[in-house]
Amino acid sequence: MAGKAVAAGTGARQRPSSVDSPRWGAALRRPGRAALSPGARNPLDRRRRRLFWPFLAPALALYVVFFVGPALASLWISFHRWDGVGEMEPRGLENYRILFDDSSFLGAFANTMTILVLVGATTFALSFALTMVLRDMRGRRFVRAVLFFPHIVAPVVLSVLWGFLFRSPEGLVNSAWRAVSGADGPNWLGDHLFAVIVLGLVWVNTGFYTTVIMAGVDRIPPDLYEDCALAGATGWQRFRHVTLPLSWEVVATAAVLWTISSLKIFEFVYAFGGTTNDMPPLDVWNSALFVYGTTFGGRSPQYQYGYASASAVVTLAAVTVLVVLLRRLMRRETVQF
Amino acid sequence: MVARSLRAERGPLRRIGTAGVWLLVAFNVGVLGWLLVAALREHTAIFRDPWGLDSLGQFGNFVRAWSDSDFGRAAGNTALVAVGASVVVVLISAPASYALAKTRTRLSGMMAVLFAVGIGIPTQVIVIPLFALMQDAGLVNSLTGLFVLYVALSVPFTVFLLTGFFGSLPDEVEEAAAIDGAGAVRTFAQIVLPLARNGLLTAFLLNLVGLWNETFVALVFVQDSAKQTLALSLLGFLQTQQYSGADYGALFAGVAILVVPMLLLYLWLGRRIIEGMTVGAVK
Repeated sequence: MAGKAVAAGTGARQRPSSVDSPRWGAALRRPGRAALSPGARNPLDRRRRRLFWPFLAPALALYVVFFVGPALASLWISFHRWDGVGEMEPRGLENYRILFDDSSFLGAFANTMTILVLVGATTFALSFALTMVLRDMRGRRFVRAVLFFPHIVAPVVLSVLWGFLFRSPEGLVNSAWRAVSGADGPNWLGDHLFAVIVLGLVWVNTGFYTTVIMAGVDRIPPDLYEDCALAGATGWQRFRHVTLPLSWEVVATAAVLWTISSLKIFEFVYAFGGTTNDMPPLDVWNSALFVYGTTFGGRSPQYQYGYASASAVVTLAAVTVLVVLLRRLMRRETVQF
Repeated sequence: MVARSLRAERGPLRRIGTAGVWLLVAFNVGVLGWLLVAALREHTAIFRDPWGLDSLGQFGNFVRAWSDSDFGRAAGNTALVAVGASVVVVLISAPASYALAKTRTRLSGMMAVLFAVGIGIPTQVIVIPLFALMQDAGLVNSLTGLFVLYVALSVPFTVFLLTGFFGSLPDEVEEAAAIDGAGAVRTFAQIVLPLARNGLLTAFLLNLVGLWNETFVALVFVQDSAKQTLALSLLGFLQTQQYSGADYGALFAGVAILVVPMLLLYLWLGRRIIEGMTVGAVK
């Protein structure tokens, strides 16, 4: 069924590439094409090549000083005990050994993974559902704009608003709870804070990933769906055999994007502590909060630079492995259309 | 014809889905509307009846937030640092991206990948060495330091985005300019940059939105309340409320000061922002 539909649409349309739509993949794949480029030796190329280093130098210098250097330094610091002021004291793998016995780190790591997997899966499922509904709905541009909006609001603000909804007893959620059941609702922020955070992160991210997936699904030629209608395919078959395979590449990229950005989540969780100096309760920390909490954060900062660096290295390593696995797992033969 | 019949299809599942979508839309609009209403209500009224409309029109909330809680100064700081850093990072990244996109060598390909890796490095992984670095340079707890950090930390994303844009520009115009005898730097400044202004503007906008809302770096590197950005002021305001009694009206006025500029920008240039932010995933 899929094969037939795809064959029918093959070569049907060549998408015009506008100046406005950059091709990130193309930028990275360029070296492979270099040899094939017919103009490789023309004067324009030669001149450009002379400008390569002068043009690249400022950005590259900043990148080396503020990314490459610090990343390597983090690894180096993680093998030491250091408070940032005195001498660094080498301690080999000791930091790492302690880390794996530290229940607060393991909890933060588990929370990071829960956010990555649970929030990720829910967000993607919801985004696909929304995309399917929005596909042929009136006012889709408006809906997309409204759903996307949280993505450009400061996470601190979203956190304050989200927290206000779940306050007891006066928050919206418990007001509704009382109206329906007559009894007082649970103390969300006290007893179920992590669940509230997970739910909030789904809310914040669904709009963005819906937009990404929608953009992928929109590239599918409509005649494939017409073929489906002629063949009498059900909605599920249409999704399973046309929409999903043809938007797979976009979904795979979005999944990597989510993995990376889930690791960066900090403010949305942090603001539930309520102030500039107070950390939220330990059981909702993720690894970003763990780094902050063991160094600069809290009322009496710990300044355990070595230990915090080790935790950052472990988390980054784990997620790098996950990204590689994810790419392996999601690799499919690209469907041409 | 067929497309129309598809569009007209109405299963029960679809009806539930459509209802769900509008419910979500109503929720988002409702939260935003509620925030703007609460910013204009009296504290006791919000507390007594969070979802009501009475006592609307308390512009004093904004005055209290703006002057007493220093949101005014923070707004100035944020605007200065965010706008300045967004402009500078685009100016630095544009030539680099051009070099990466148009020089087709193995080296430029490797460099492009190197910059892309930076996007995947979360700030908290490099924040400790960065802090030591900035401390040595005497740039901790200063707006200049924050500005430098914002520029540097925005480089990978901006280079990545702009490399794509420059890659999609046609070579013909530049070839014509070269034949006319324009030098390479002049060709870049007078021909390529104007052609790429859409991409440059998008890169500026996305950085502006990101830096306006940035909290983590500011939280670590700025302690002095006179140098706070808006996001920090908001956190600080939450703290004073714990000691000197809550004032929800002024709190939400402060939130509004942080959100409304972004809302206006979004209403004005929303499509560009949305497309710029999602274009990477769709190749």
